[in-house]
Amino acid sequence: MTSTRKLWTLLGALLVVSFSVLLWSGSQISQKAPPMPERVVATDGRTIYTRTEIETGRQVWQSMGGMQLGSIWGHGGYVAPDWSADWLHRELMALLDQWAARDYGAADFAALNNEQKSGLQSRLRDQMRLNTYDPKTATITLSTERAAAIATVSAHYQSLFGNDPQTAELREAYAMKNNTVRSAEHRRVLSAFFWWTSWATVTHRPGDTITYTNNWPSEPLVDNRPPSSTYLWSAFSVMFLLAGIALLGWHYAVTHERNETHWLPATDPMRSLKATPSMLATAKYFWLLLALFLVQILLGAITAHYQIEGQLVYGYEMAEVLPYSITRTWHTQLAVLWIAVAWLATGLYIGPAISGYEPPYQRLGVNVLWVCLIIIAVGSFAGQWFAVMQILGLANNFWFGHQGWEYADMGRFWQWFLFIGLMLWLLLVGRALWPTLRSKSESRSIVGLLFLSTVAIGVFFAAALMWGEHTHISMVEYWRWWLVHLWVEGFFEVFATAVIAFLFTRLGLLAVVTATVAVLFATIIFMAGGVLGTLHHLYFVGSPTPVLALGASFSALEVVPLAYIGFEAYHTYRLGGSTTWMRRYHWPVMFFIAVSFWNIVGAGLFGFLINPPLSLYYMQGLNLTPLHGHTALFGVYGMLGIGLVLFCLRGMKPQLAWHDGILRTSFWCLNIGLALMALLTLLPLGTMQLFAALEHGYWYARSAEFMQQPLVELLIWMRVPGDTIFSIGALALAIFVAGLWLFARPEKQEDVPEGPRDKVRADPPDGPK
Amino acid sequence: MIEFYPQLRLVHIVAVFASGGLFLLRGLSLFAGPGWVAAGAMSLPVRLLSYTIDTLLLTAALMLMTIVQQYPFVDAWLTVKVVLLAVYIALGLIAFRFARTPSGRVGAFLVALCVYGYIISVAWSHDPLGVFRATPG
Repeated sequence: MTSTRKLWTLLGALLVVSFSVLLWSGSQISQKAPPMPERVVATDGRTIYTRTEIETGRQVWQSMGGMQLGSIWGHGGYVAPDWSADWLHRELMALLDQWAARDYGAADFAALNNEQKSGLQSRLRDQMRLNTYDPKTATITLSTERAAAIATVSAHYQSLFGNDPQTAELREAYAMKNNTVRSAEHRRVLSAFFWWTSWATVTHRPGDTITYTNNWPSEPLVDNRPPSSTYLWSAFSVMFLLAGIALLGWHYAVTHERNETHWLPATDPMRSLKATPSMLATAKYFWLLLALFLVQILLGAITAHYQIEGQLVYGYEMAEVLPYSITRTWHTQLAVLWIAVAWLATGLYIGPAISGYEPPYQRLGVNVLWVCLIIIAVGSFAGQWFAVMQILGLANNFWFGHQGWEYADMGRFWQWFLFIGLMLWLLLVGRALWPTLRSKSESRSIVGLLFLSTVAIGVFFAAALMWGEHTHISMVEYWRWWLVHLWVEGFFEVFATAVIAFLFTRLGLLAVVTATVAVLFATIIFMAGGVLGTLHHLYFVGSPTPVLALGASFSALEVVPLAYIGFEAYHTYRLGGSTTWMRRYHWPVMFFIAVSFWNIVGAGLFGFLINPPLSLYYMQGLNLTPLHGHTALFGVYGMLGIGLVLFCLRGMKPQLAWHDGILRTSFWCLNIGLALMALLTLLPLGTMQLFAALEHGYWYARSAEFMQQPLVELLIWMRVPGDTIFSIGALALAIFVAGLWLFARPEKQEDVPEGPRDKVRADPPDGPK
Repeated sequence: MIEFYPQLRLVHIVAVFASGGLFLLRGLSLFAGPGWVAAGAMSLPVRLLSYTIDTLLLTAALMLMTIVQQYPFVDAWLTVKVVLLAVYIALGLIAFRFARTPSGRVGAFLVALCVYGYIISVAWSHDPLGVFRATPG
């Protein structure tokens, strides 16, 4: 069996086992998720909430932007509070105040002495953590005192989500528009949903001493502390990480001597490439993605500014037109969208480039897909706006409005449309690659892997179609992370590795056989941690302990290949200077090197900072999450998208001179801007919040009281320098691309001195990835 | 944020004078200095210093704006400042980069300095007329 065949077999086996375990974990979550009661009643027989009210409340929450405004169980936005944690704390305080008045005649709980406080807290703990759900009748029974506390908190929320002047200041602090939920009845049932999510965080699982959310969030009043499993599996995850690094190091030591030599081409093999009509038609994708990128940055700036002025943007009443939940929705969606467009365009461009075959009507297909993408973007965004402005209504929200699930926010109709669009993309790429896939050439394997990663990107979007309008939130979370995590930390990684290696083989800088082995090996390493690493997002969404253990162990393994990313960066750097004509690809190569840098910093360091269960218990939903999000999503995939765009443009316009100065400005501004955003705001603010969560409980780290401190505002303002520099970088990139069409000038021969520099030894990247 | 108002105002003012001072120095070096000084005025470290000061200036300006709740295109004196800032930047670009003749460069540089001075007078007086406003009595 050849080494390539062995690796393919190993990869197949790994994927079968990993996905089997992932599916089994899903069945566990489904069985152990917090129950949805038919009725919630008080001991005096009064009905507090019904299932219909809780479920309708969830629809209301989704329609106003769901996770884009505050969070549930730690998943969502960061300016408004985590509603589960906030409700819990308010309900606890309402109960304690009630008892303090009744038992001691005190004004409130704070007025009691320590002994009295301890007594009430003990009573509180026992009552709140007790599971009174009866599976036979599907009824939760609560004390009349607790029912009164729920009524108090519900009144607060009904005021907050309306237009009550009493809560106006809080709305501003939370960046909520006035009348976030217009209907009074909808506001009432919204509180039912918030109550249920809070109930799951404090109620023991049947026969256990931890809650449905593994004791999340931290709440000292009721002893919500990290369970022992979080300590145990965090420690083990570090051990697995070190073991993985050691093993991969050993593998590298064994294999890195197997360097091979081959002659590098004297001239740029891609320069003579004749772009087919469909390849040229992809140009409009690059213009579109740059427009989307610029709009995304603008929306990000507005979203960040809402943290300062709440409902205003430099004095303008922006919340009445584009409220926070809309700007954040579009900002996060556009991030995925423009990066996806870059990759779609790359696939469409390199398909015919690889095979040299232009299938019939390929150009038409490319154009139709482009139009479809615009319709999907405009249509889904319009639906979200109508939903958040509370114009669309609940009946149509799921299909055409705002689903409220972060990164999977678009209505179901648009999700289906996008899925069909992705299938069309696969068809277009597949038919162009077909001659190469069928041939017995040595490129077949690496092209096959590249194609498989595109198939996976397309097919796995179907995970977004797995939940329905009323599917249990724990299961929605399970499938949502199939989509987000498996895309980002699985197939995107494979695509990135395969496409970069493939491009270098096309340039003749890497031998195809060695590149194939390297990419297959890297894929196995990425997928070994990547598939089951999905579970680390699900520690606190109603999952049982085995899911937490698996998530902790495998998400630590995800970091292993990143520890060696320096090898890849250096290898890429060497290839970039291995021939004189590679100067033409200097900036695409620089962006690929940036991918490696941000992979270790954004995905590796900042990712592992929050991934172990004990860390995430406190850090989930704090500013340490967007620290990882921005540096990993833009740092890795954004940079890769830009690198690919430049690479394709080089091929599309091979005879044009490039304005290196503009690209240099763009490259450094984007990198420095991103670094400043991380270091001046997100890291220090997230660390401050972490201290607050450790000291006072999670609710406090997310509260208006904490977030409105002058120092916090100052840190948020510190985003301006980084964001300004970053925006200059994006503008420079747009100017550069526009210049290729508007101010094109031909490349002079002396700009591309050709001829081999030497017989250069090109190391195979089959060392650790 | 009001707690930091005095410090932010100080940072803004210092950055304004640092920015203008550096612009003046670069201009003088470029137009009147020996060759190596002229080259230094346009060198990467000097340009980076200029960008850093201007970014700091902008950040402090945006922060002050939200604290005092006065905004361009709402309050006339801030509108004038923003518009003239754009003019000042354009003149700077002409002086240092785009003007083809020495007289054109020097001319743009001198007008830029006048605009800079006028912006300061507008900021000082909180009046769009700045130095040209009628003095009472």
